[in-house]
This record gives sequence, C-alpha cells and structure tokens, in this order.
Amino acid sequence: MALLEVEDLRVSFGETRAVDGVDFQVDEGQVVGLVGESGCGKSVTSLAIMGLLPRRAASVAGAARYDGVDLFSLPRGEMRRLRGPDLAMVFQDPLSSLNPVVQIGRQITEVLERHRGMRGEAARKEAVHLLDRVGIPDPARRLGEYPHQLSGGMRQRVLIAISVACAPRLLIADEPTTALDVTIQAQILELLKDLVDSEGTALLMITHDLGVVAGLCDEVNVLYSGRVVESAPARDLFARPTHPYTVGLLNSIPRLDLPIHEPLRPIRGSIADVIGWNDGCAFAPRCDRVAEECVAGEPPLIGAAHMHRCVRAEEVA
Amino acid sequence: MSIGTEPGPIGATTDLLSVEDLVVHFPIRRGLVVERTVGHVRAVDGVSLGIAAGRTYGLVGESGCGKTTFGRAVLRLEEPTGGRVRLDGTEVTGLRSDRLRRFRSRMQMVFQDPLGSLNPRHNVDMLLAEPLKVHGVGSRSEQRRLAIETLDAVGLPSSVLERYPHEFSGGQRQRLGIARALMLRPDLVICDEPVSALDVSIQAQVMNLLEQLQGEFNLTYLVIAHDLAVVRHMSDRVGVMYLGNLVEEADSEAIYDDPRHPYTKALLSAVPQPDPEAEADRERIILKGDLPSPADPPSGCRFRTRCPWAADICAEEVPVWREVGDGHRVACHFDL
Repeated sequence: MALLEVEDLRVSFGETRAVDGVDFQVDEGQVVGLVGESGCGKSVTSLAIMGLLPRRAASVAGAARYDGVDLFSLPRGEMRRLRGPDLAMVFQDPLSSLNPVVQIGRQITEVLERHRGMRGEAARKEAVHLLDRVGIPDPARRLGEYPHQLSGGMRQRVLIAISVACAPRLLIADEPTTALDVTIQAQILELLKDLVDSEGTALLMITHDLGVVAGLCDEVNVLYSGRVVESAPARDLFARPTHPYTVGLLNSIPRLDLPIHEPLRPIRGSIADVIGWNDGCAFAPRCDRVAEECVAGEPPLIGAAHMHRCVRAEEVA
Repeated sequence: MSIGTEPGPIGATTDLLSVEDLVVHFPIRRGLVVERTVGHVRAVDGVSLGIAAGRTYGLVGESGCGKTTFGRAVLRLEEPTGGRVRLDGTEVTGLRSDRLRRFRSRMQMVFQDPLGSLNPRHNVDMLLAEPLKVHGVGSRSEQRRLAIETLDAVGLPSSVLERYPHEFSGGQRQRLGIARALMLRPDLVICDEPVSALDVSIQAQVMNLLEQLQGEFNLTYLVIAHDLAVVRHMSDRVGVMYLGNLVEEADSEAIYDDPRHPYTKALLSAVPQPDPEAEADRERIILKGDLPSPADPPSGCRFRTRCPWAADICAEEVPVWREVGDGHRVACHFDL
C-alpha cells in the first residue's frame, strides 16, 4: 500500500478551480516530484494534503489517504497529531514560517515537547543534535538566536530541523530552495537527499525547477492548470517526454550543454490564455500540435508506468 | 599592471563600454544625533571589464556579490567611489549632471521586476513616451509612432497603448520594460536579472526576444544574472563575481568547458541540470558556509573562507590576474 494516495483531488476557491482532479501516490521512502509553473496548483495540492487551506475560502473534494486513512475526513485534533510525527512540511520562505520573536531553540523544543514529550535539558540536547544534523555550525550558540540573525540558507536548515524533529514518514517540501542562491541550494538539496537515504523519509518535492527534479526524484508528476498531464519515473520522463507541455518546458530551459545563442523553443502564449477555457485539453490554446479532438473533450490520463494526458502523444513522440 | 585586481590591459579601442577599476563603497553610519561613519560595505571593489560593440557580456554571481551595484554604477544610478567608465570614448564618470542626463539616452536599463519599475498610474502610451519627453525627442505624433514601432518589435500589438501595467502578465510586462528601455534607441542596455522573475516557458520567450532585438537595434548588452545557464546562453563573454571582485573572465564557451577558478567550478557544479543521468554522475562541489560580510571581507583571496583548495598563501596575498588561455583570465593562486 502507498504511504500517501491522492485521488481525484479537487480544490476550488469560489469559481476558480485551482486543482482539478489530481491523482498520484507516494510510497514509503520514495521521492516524488510535483512540477509545474506558477498557478498550476502544485502548492494548493500540498496545502490541501496538510489540511492547511482556509476552510471558508477553499472547497476541497476527493481523497488523500495516508496509510489508508482519509486525511480529509479526519477530525482536526487527529490531523494535528499526525502533523509532526507523520507528516511535516517545509515552506519556500523560511523567514515567514519562523516566529520572528522566538529564539530558534525554543521553536525546536516546542515541537519536541508537544510530539515527543521531551522536557528541559533533554529537549535542549535534542535541539542541538538536530541543528548539528542539518549542518548548522556551532549549534549550541545558535539556539539563543532569532531568525533575523541567520542567513537564508541557515533559516531553511532550521526549518528542516523543525520538520524532521519527529522523524516524519512523509516530508512535503514546497519550493524549499527557490529563494536561495545556487551554491546554498546545492547544500540544501544534498541535505534533503541525505535525510531520505539515512532515515527512509518519503519526500514529496514541489518545485518549478526540472533540474532539481532530475537530481532528486524517483517519480515525477507534471502539473498544468490543476491537472496532472504527465506522470512517470524520472529517468523515463526526461528520456521520453510525451506530453507537449513537458516537451515545451524541457525545450525552454537554457542548458549548460547547448550551443550558446541558439534560439530556445519556448511554449507560446501564457497560462492566462487558459482562463475561461473549459472544454477539452487545457494546454490546447498553447499547443503546436492542437487538433480537433483536443478541444472536443478532456483527454484522459492514459498509460501504465508512464502516463500522459494527450490524445496526440504518439505523433508528438 | 598596476594593482592586483586589475585584469591586464583593458579598454581596447573597439570596446563600446570600458570599465576601469570601478569601486563602489557604501558608508555604514551609526549614531542618532551625530552620524559617524563606522565602516564601509565594499559592494564593488575594483572591477574592470570591456564590452565590444554589438556583443553581450554576462556578469554572474550570487546575491550580495555586487553585480547589481556594478550595473547601476556604470549608468551612474549609483555614484562610483572610484574608477572610470567610458562609453564609446566618452567618460561617463566625468559627466556633470546635465550632460549626464542627456548622455543617458545612449545607455538604458531593463529591471528584474517589471511591475515595480513601471508606474502603475501610467498607461502604456504614457510609459513609452516618457523617456522621449525627458529627452525632448519628437512631436507627440512622432512619439506615438515610435511607441507603436517599438511595441511591434517586442511583440505587443498597438492596441495595448491604452492599457495599464496591472493588466499584463509577467512576461508581457517584461516586454514593456524592454520596449521602454529601447524607446531612445540606446547603444548599451544593461539587463539586471531580466528573466529571473518569470516562469520557465516565459523566460525562454524573453531570452529569445532579447537576442532578436540585439540584431535589430544593434545593441550591446550587459546581462546581470545569478543563473549561469541563462547567462551562458545569452553571452559572448562571461565574468564571474564574488564579494565585490571579478574572479574569472572568459569567452562563454571557455568558462563552462574549462572553468579555472574554484568558485566558478563550484557554481557550475551546483546548477541542477534537467537530466537524471548527468545528475547521477556529476561531481558536486558543495561549498561550506555562507557569503562573508562585504563590510569586512577576508584578507588575501576573498573566496578562501569557502574554498575547498584554500592554503596559507590565500590568506596572505591577494591573487593577481593570470592569463590561462586566449582571453581567459583567472584570479587564483593555484592552477586548477
């Protein structure tokens, strides 16, 4: 059984459908990527799973089963108990996720007290150990510092330390390195990789960066306009991208091994072209291969290990 | 060669822009009643480079390396503390206010955040006509004609003239930012992180557009960015900056095929590539720690505190520029 199974997830804010029938799963110890551009619904998907969407504004339908239990029908208290020891999340912007007026040490021991029943010196020791684990130099001294005293990379490490304090079985990381410089990004990705390898934590990696996905993920789901348009093992996806959107994204990336000055082959138009588009394939207005059958109806997700949502996939490949 | 930070002879006659030993220091002030200067942030600390007409120079580095300050100082949007900037033979650093303002029509800037650099209360017509008004170019009808012509060049229809910045998507806004920079038909355009706020698919559109406009309007570019892949793709020459200094400079191909400075090597190895096979095999150089404070840079080589190859000499002596190939210079004590 999968550790996390998301089935037909739908999230809408009023009339706006942010997530429109997303299915995917994460197995124990697996690294799964959700990749897509702004507005594709990747962050909303992760917030829905964690139960962090505002209840009044967002209507959530479908199921997210963790260990067979549907998270959406869980009472709030139960859900709160799961967060920490089972599910944890790392956000993009560590400065707004950390409490600015509370010392780093206290923010970590709080989690240890609540979920692991640790107190006093034991909690403090564990906090030092955790900071050391995520590669923060001189951790004992850092405990007394405030978030603004740390650099961006250090803050992200603190956030990861808090997330892994209870050794969660599933860690959701929402663009954890987007705000960081490349050399610091490399440090954080290395750390996440190391956590997955040594603790067997499953990781749901949410990112816009196909490079990050290529280096980290076992399975990849490409999202476009609230739907999964392609889903495959990472090596397979990059070797044989099938959906025109995936192909377009890969062609848009300036790669270090391409000849310089050679024009890139971007996707035409922008996501704004899709607003108000209700029939057929959401990518059709921007697709170079668009045909009549593309606008006739929503194409289904087809295939076994390598799935895609394109009626003309054979011809594109 | 006079001092260690100067990369040999520069300012060859063919260069449109030549920058010599540019220094920008920001004073750090303390005190409520009497302000005292207690130190300086050495944002740019002796950078020299030249850009040939019609070419693209890519300046790459991470946050805080001084690349944006460098670009702004070239246009004198930031007053340089020292050094010289020459554009097409005219010394920009010597111009007084009035002549400087007129001269600015030849050098323009494209900013990272197009929404922040376009006045939200001005429609496109006003936004594009403004630089022309400032410089007293053309009658109202000529200004409009130029605006339509420039919009067409950046791929926007003339129907957008009456619209306001908030009505556009990120990519379209960047096209507007570019159009505005081109209104005065400048020689030099400094693009500061022109695509880093955009989604991948839009980023590629804007990169292609910039390349296409370069030929059409005979532009010389200084592209400032943190993304090595973007810089490499657009540039003929690349300079790598670290903590206020250039550390390596070479032709675009050379810097990626044969990086010689440990920082360049580390940067290159850190760029994630969309290729799982390559990612699995790659040897990553993970740098220790964070960027030191530019107010108190390390002695000797500024990169030594994070460098995997650092030795005693690195703390004692500032590395001098060495030629390691045709037009390929590096400031490192070791031949790596």
